[in-house]
Amino acid sequence: MKALAALAGAAFTVAACYGLGSILAARLGAGLRRGEKFPLAFVLGASVLHLAIFAVMALQIAYKPVLIAMLSVCVVAALVTGDWRLPAKEDTPLRGALRYLFGIIAVAFTVLYLFNAWVPEISPDGSSYHLGLVSRYLRAHGFERVTTSMLLAFSEGVEMLYVPAFAIGRHSAAALVHLAFLLALALAVLAYGKRIGKPQAGAAAALMVYLSPIVGLDGTIAYTDVATAAIMFAVFYWIQLWDEHRDSRLLLAAGLLAGYCYAAKYTAFVMLVYAVGFVAWRTRRWQPAALLAGCSLTMVIPWMAKDWIYLQNPIAPFANQWFPNPYFYVLIEKLWTTRMRTYGLQNLWMLPLEVTTRGEITQGLIGPAFLAAPLALLALWSREGRKLVVPCALILITYFGNIGTRFLIPCLPFLSLAMLIALETVAPALALLIIFHAVTSWPTVVMRYTHAWSLQGMPYKAALRIIPEEQYLGAYPQYQWARMVEKHVPPGKLVFTLNGLPDSYTTREILISYWGGLSNDVGDALTTGWSKPWQPAKLSSFILPDQKYRRLRVVQTGAATFPEEQWNIHEIRLYHGGQELPRRPEWRLQAWPNPWGVQRAFDNSEATRWRSWDTLHPGMWISLDLGRDEAVDRVQLELSGDEWDARMRIETNDENGRWVPVNATIEERPVRYSGSIRRSATYEAHLRGVDYFLIRDDDFGASDYAEFSGDWGLTRLEHAYGATLYVVNP
Amino acid sequence: MSFRLGLLGAICGLLFGCSNLPEPYPPPAQRPFFEASTEAVRILNMSDGDAEHHFVKDIDATLQGGTWRWTGKRPTIRLRPNANRQLVYSIDFAIAGSTFQQTGPVTLTFFVNDHLLDRVRYTSEGRRHFQKAVPAEWLAPNESTTLAAEIDKMWTPPAPGGPPLGFILVSLGLEQLGAESK
Repeated sequence: MKALAALAGAAFTVAACYGLGSILAARLGAGLRRGEKFPLAFVLGASVLHLAIFAVMALQIAYKPVLIAMLSVCVVAALVTGDWRLPAKEDTPLRGALRYLFGIIAVAFTVLYLFNAWVPEISPDGSSYHLGLVSRYLRAHGFERVTTSMLLAFSEGVEMLYVPAFAIGRHSAAALVHLAFLLALALAVLAYGKRIGKPQAGAAAALMVYLSPIVGLDGTIAYTDVATAAIMFAVFYWIQLWDEHRDSRLLLAAGLLAGYCYAAKYTAFVMLVYAVGFVAWRTRRWQPAALLAGCSLTMVIPWMAKDWIYLQNPIAPFANQWFPNPYFYVLIEKLWTTRMRTYGLQNLWMLPLEVTTRGEITQGLIGPAFLAAPLALLALWSREGRKLVVPCALILITYFGNIGTRFLIPCLPFLSLAMLIALETVAPALALLIIFHAVTSWPTVVMRYTHAWSLQGMPYKAALRIIPEEQYLGAYPQYQWARMVEKHVPPGKLVFTLNGLPDSYTTREILISYWGGLSNDVGDALTTGWSKPWQPAKLSSFILPDQKYRRLRVVQTGAATFPEEQWNIHEIRLYHGGQELPRRPEWRLQAWPNPWGVQRAFDNSEATRWRSWDTLHPGMWISLDLGRDEAVDRVQLELSGDEWDARMRIETNDENGRWVPVNATIEERPVRYSGSIRRSATYEAHLRGVDYFLIRDDDFGASDYAEFSGDWGLTRLEHAYGATLYVVNP
Repeated sequence: MSFRLGLLGAICGLLFGCSNLPEPYPPPAQRPFFEASTEAVRILNMSDGDAEHHFVKDIDATLQGGTWRWTGKRPTIRLRPNANRQLVYSIDFAIAGSTFQQTGPVTLTFFVNDHLLDRVRYTSEGRRHFQKAVPAEWLAPNESTTLAAEIDKMWTPPAPGGPPLGFILVSLGLEQLGAESK
């Protein structure tokens, strides 16, 4: 029954997209051919349906009947208007042997993909955040303001389509919708080949994309990369249709899809640049390009507005330096994006071999057949080829922002076509290449030459629920952790983890230590509890001229040796005559950067510290307005052991209100804290509403939590499947 | 044209200038002081993150090879075990070949709260393990307990100025018989 529900949820959603797209395509006078109809109408319909679901979400009416009614209207309308029908058959057949060869290969991989997409979803990002937020929105019947994870700040254009599918058929339905995008992508490449008079190259290129291990893997789980690639290729396709017919109505479709690119994945926005540039270049006028850009904004603005309203940053989780907010720290964004640019690869020249045949570092491979990619240079000799190379190059530029193999997927349709159009008339070469690609992409073969993330086989028993869903998922520890959380944690409570778990299988909110300001703060306090370098280790005392001060500030003048290096201050204390000045409510505290965290330097807790959450650089400061003139002769800073390059001076206001340095002498000495930093850390977590911790046995600090749970003030609720769930003692 | 530019400027200003920076904050509620509570019965590995918290004397601050530290004459640590019954004093250490050449056979004396637990003579270099049950009356649950191991002969450096060395300490602590292993 679950298997059928999944299939029904996906089929209904896909049908609604196709129906809506068919109606639109007909009204725009697209004149799509038979082979183009499904892929182009489906993707176009998906763009508009996603916007409708966005509206339902914003109106907080995302109930199952509403979603089903919405899908039904799309399907019925297409049937009633007759737009559902496919156009008449066309005659650009492949040559006999090639047709059967390609057909057999395509069917074999389609069966493989169908069963893989149909199994209970447990992919890392799919079962956690892609479907986690879908599940969450459905529980809330609309959007919720989620400020705790950078991953939930992205535009969610493809996930919007997962909403009705999930509502009907749960997790697998979403993965099957993604599979529909994979089919649409391959069919679009095939159709494009036919349209430009290269049917054999088109068919081979479609298979190059379709069989690629990373495409097959990604397109059968609830990710969004293959869908994004399909949308991007659809933009190109509609632009080419417009170029052929010069009917400005076609620009509406291209514009909507270009905007949908942004909604699907920020970096896919490059297709709007391509589309606008291409139209402007071909027409030498700005109006058509403006029309296209204007249409795209209908898809872009809702997502920007959502992020601006909820997160104070229209392009969250990026550009936090330009749009400062307390939810996502600048340093985390910097380190994350830096990491994504390298994945730890020492040399980017290793990339071609890594993404084609190894795939262990960049998490997947496109297949050894793509080592023939230099063939794409041959495309430069033909007009059709050059048309492909330009968007391919543009997309490739954005790829270097994240060199994970799956981020290459949008390139593949263009690259494959460009590689193969020169071989249109060399059928044996095409056949050999595709046979090689098929063999080296089949899961059991892939596992022989790499341990990269890839499909593992044909799990038909799990797909058909011959193996019950609970039994299949139960073999995954991360699923068990989600059930553990569901069992022990009361509704509405936050659960802190270091590495996350499949959110879509629990109704509790899961924090991951590195994905948001709250998690970063709680994680920092907890790490301070067990890691000595994090703890207060030295006192810097600034001996000031004994006089009265109204305002004081500590200015940082050093520069970081490492990008990870921050300015950290556990406590700032003021003294006069050996006595600490009580921290009066009239004091006013400010800091830059991270103004939101300044109170942590004045809270008397050794487990917390104000952190710059930006790379240490000159000009950072913390200021203190005492509210009245007070005698101060010493400013004492308690600093962490991981403070290396920070250099500080004290400033005060002169009579004109300008900050001027104070002539202070500095004394430094080590400090040792005698209280329980561990207990202080969990106390801080509790103050922030975080009372539950799921700690894996291999997490940093795991043995400390286990061994000193009493000192932490934690009670162990359950230990199973290599993880322990703790609750903070009241 | 200037109107359009102005509009563009205004939009940019809105986009980039309208950030929600907070007003200055007052000092927050002051956090309470938490007394360090007791610890489970444990072996202190020299590589443990909190190892230095437990050092009393004669253990070098530098962790060598990720696992061990040089000692002085009488390396001593402090633990607060939450039990006093069925406890076993346990130490993993090594006598370095380089020091043994100078000192020859050495005798180590093991202490719990300054009670002499045992004395053992070692006539060769190499890794050693010693353990022995601790009388329950020597320590009290949840009280600070010192564990020590004293070497009778120290290695002295040939050139003046360097520190004399005792032995190589890997771990020292208490085990509880019958306790569930972690």
